[in-house]
Amino acid sequence: MNANLLLDQYYQQTEVILDKAVKEWQNLALEKLLAAPQLGAWSAAQCMAHLNAYGNYYLPAIEKAIEKAQAEGSKANKEFRSGWLGAYFTKLMLPDSKTKMKSPANAIPPAILDPAETLAQFIDQQERMLKLIEKARGVSLKVRIPISILPWLRLKLGDTFGFYTAHHRRHVLQAERAMGRA
Amino acid sequence: MLITNPQDYLSQIWPDLPTEVLADLGAVFHKHTAKRKTVLTTEGEVEKYLYLVLEGVQRAYAIGADGKEATLVFTYAPSFSGVADSFLLQRPSRYWFETLTPSVFFRASFVDFDAILQKHPLLERKLRIALSETLEGVLVRQIELQSFTAEQRFRTLMARSPHLLQLVPHKYIANYLGMDATNFSKLLGQIRI
Repeated sequence: MNANLLLDQYYQQTEVILDKAVKEWQNLALEKLLAAPQLGAWSAAQCMAHLNAYGNYYLPAIEKAIEKAQAEGSKANKEFRSGWLGAYFTKLMLPDSKTKMKSPANAIPPAILDPAETLAQFIDQQERMLKLIEKARGVSLKVRIPISILPWLRLKLGDTFGFYTAHHRRHVLQAERAMGRA
Repeated sequence: MLITNPQDYLSQIWPDLPTEVLADLGAVFHKHTAKRKTVLTTEGEVEKYLYLVLEGVQRAYAIGADGKEATLVFTYAPSFSGVADSFLLQRPSRYWFETLTPSVFFRASFVDFDAILQKHPLLERKLRIALSETLEGVLVRQIELQSFTAEQRFRTLMARSPHLLQLVPHKYIANYLGMDATNFSKLLGQIRI
């Protein structure tokens, strides 16, 4: 696949999420962000806290990888090909994936959280992600990033973007359902 | 009205400009688009362009010695934008200028714009009035910053530009008002539906 078109796609998907968060969610009554659709299900704020936990790991990891690649004189490739594991993870994460997953313990959001602060951090992270996607246009998408749950396993940058945005879209849909907006 | 060329835009700002002046002025503006969070002018750089905002929200901000940002002004259509003092004086900018949302502009370079001003002295007069209004706005904001409480500043902005709440992340508005996020969130809670 053309690397720039792929990045365009991830940029657009992130932009859509950020646009909703700015236009709608940050203006909702805070109770809406805290409402659980049913007993034991996550509230929208919890979905975002879950995504923030991933961002806290992946955004610095991606930034570090891009900067290292720049320092080593990495050049952008025209084409990007997913690794088999990267493609598998991304598919698993997509919103229409039927696979139910259990979140790793360190990504389970707390029951009590500050919804405004959680959403502000979520918005911050989407802004940072957009900048990273733009920055990635200058380097090879083949540089590797250790995944959060298995640090010895390293995904290509292009696959990390794919899996990260798919995971975001999945939980943003869940958050919208919780807010009664999907 | 959907504006597709600089002349139409300028004629809305200055309806009484003679057609010939409008045509000359409009001819030096060119369309420019920028993604969200694009830095258009950095501190220390001389502002190259005068912008007319078609779409999106932008801000000028300073970065203090402690690394903290201070949002000085937001711009959105219909308005001029860019670092006006650096542009007009052709001196290094003391602050930064960036888009906060995807933005579309018409913009003119200093050389082109300056040449048109020299050709049409009427424009110098128009510019003086526009700058006087800008100065008035800056001084009014100075009053707000020095003698209003945080809540008064919040209420004043909400009366003047309530649409900003749906356009930009609230952290920028809180920063513009000189408030922390928690305080801003509390005040917003009073007017949220």
